[in-house]
Amino acid sequence: MIAPAIQLEQLSKRYGRVTALQNLSLEVATGEVFGFLGLNGAGKTTTIRILLDLVRPTAGRAAIFGIDCQARGLEVRATLGYLPGEPGFYGDSTGETTIDLLAALSGGAVDRRRRAELLDRLEFSTADLRRPLREYSTGMKRKLGIVQAFQADSPLLVLDEPTEGLDPLMQDAFYGLLSDARSRGRTIFMSSHVLPEVERVCDRIGLVRGGELVLVSTVHEIRRLAGRRVRASFAEPVAAPVSWPSGCEVIDVSPRHWDLRVHGALGVIVTMLASLPIADLEVQMPHLEEILKTYYADDSRHGAANHAGSSS
Amino acid sequence: MRTLVLARHSFRRIRPIVVGMAIVLAGFQFLLTQVAVFLMRNQAFGLLSSLVPDFIRSLAGPSMVAFMSFGGVVALGYFHPVVLVSLLGLAITIGTEPAAEVETRFDDLTLARPMARHEVITRTVLLLVATIALLLIVMTAATWTGLTCCTPASAERPAFGLIRSLATALGAVVLCWGGIALAVAAGARRRATAAGLTAVTALAAYLVDYLGRVWDPARLAGRLSPFHYFEPMSLIAGEAASAANLVVLMTITLAGVAVGYARFSRRDL
Repeated sequence: MIAPAIQLEQLSKRYGRVTALQNLSLEVATGEVFGFLGLNGAGKTTTIRILLDLVRPTAGRAAIFGIDCQARGLEVRATLGYLPGEPGFYGDSTGETTIDLLAALSGGAVDRRRRAELLDRLEFSTADLRRPLREYSTGMKRKLGIVQAFQADSPLLVLDEPTEGLDPLMQDAFYGLLSDARSRGRTIFMSSHVLPEVERVCDRIGLVRGGELVLVSTVHEIRRLAGRRVRASFAEPVAAPVSWPSGCEVIDVSPRHWDLRVHGALGVIVTMLASLPIADLEVQMPHLEEILKTYYADDSRHGAANHAGSSS
Repeated sequence: MRTLVLARHSFRRIRPIVVGMAIVLAGFQFLLTQVAVFLMRNQAFGLLSSLVPDFIRSLAGPSMVAFMSFGGVVALGYFHPVVLVSLLGLAITIGTEPAAEVETRFDDLTLARPMARHEVITRTVLLLVATIALLLIVMTAATWTGLTCCTPASAERPAFGLIRSLATALGAVVLCWGGIALAVAAGARRRATAAGLTAVTALAAYLVDYLGRVWDPARLAGRLSPFHYFEPMSLIAGEAASAANLVVLMTITLAGVAVGYARFSRRDL
């Protein structure tokens, strides 16, 4: 049996009285693109830092390709490329010396042609590489971070907010790199706040809230469960039914306009509408952003309640 | 291998400071030999000695007389407070690099690779020893150049063994504080905190040692200070280099390094 790319078992981390992670269990399959979502302070970065053995868990176990991240950290870290949320580059080093240094520390030899291709795709010139990093913009530093994470072509890529600070063209270039990595069977574990990005590139997502994993699902399944938005406009006023079919949630109803959310098949509502003077009909797939914002709103309330509880 | 790669990177970052210090300290050592020549030609050693009040002469003992000599002036650069402070500053800067790398999150890039935490500490130890040794060698070479090329034959040149012993004693006390800085930095999240704490401790230790030397009730407390085991005046007075002093200083250094390894390997970064 092939070990999962990432396996977290009952992972917990406490900093004094603060619980950063609570019994978090998760599996990410090899070759999967997994989006790890959550509000600031939810526990995303702590989880990533445990995978890298930068932080030690209070309880539980983390493994990458079946190898324990803490007991055999060196072997684990030989299999991954990491893009930190805030790469700690030294301003007095040039881009070239920085990626050379990090390549030398990576163990396996970095393919010069691959690096050159990465630099080309991210529009890094030789002149850019020879400049000290203090002269780099935020986006340039992010691009350099992407190069150092991808240059060893590791089986697992752990990316923390990868497109933060990138302009739209560079975001597209980055999505191209992700797509190539996926086609070569690489596993990608990324945290992000940009929900359209997650929707675009991830196979599955996990949502962490207050240190606990509250949702793990495919993007497709989440959208299916969330239901589609159906907006109907009528040529003349119609009366709303006394009872709505099951799976049909009313958002707004007026004599000339119905705004509904339908969970499951649309057949029942289409049959109902067929007998009415329809002027226009719009069926919209839900965006991940809308769905997750509901969870985020719950998270805020959860946080506020916890805060109130702890201060009382 | 990775340790050396990281050490080379760290050295490249501090190279301007090291080169600058090497030039200034070597220049100072060379010029001190010329000051000694100047004082000798003007027969000023006896005059200087007579200007020192009797009670200070009796307090300082025979080392004061030894200091008011050609060899004493040449040796001044190996225990002058400014030289000591500058070398301690460099040792503390190097010793606190692990904390700086945690603070700037450079560790996130290096330790996310197949690199063990102990390699970060080993890098710092290598850099500390190599840099301090390099500066002491440059200082010694400058002293010797001044003595051999630009000093009259009639001068009472200090033996090379004395210069070597002074440099060794200076190196030992500086490395000792580098080891203490490393022990503090290995558990710190901010370099300024680690460096500040070490510097204040060094200042306190220096003053405790000073009080211990001039005030009998503080004599025992003075033994707690690493500076107590740095006795250049005894060497100038002709005493043999104390192996016990070196052992104490090296023990503190090694203890600091051991604490650094232990703390850094266990901490959250």
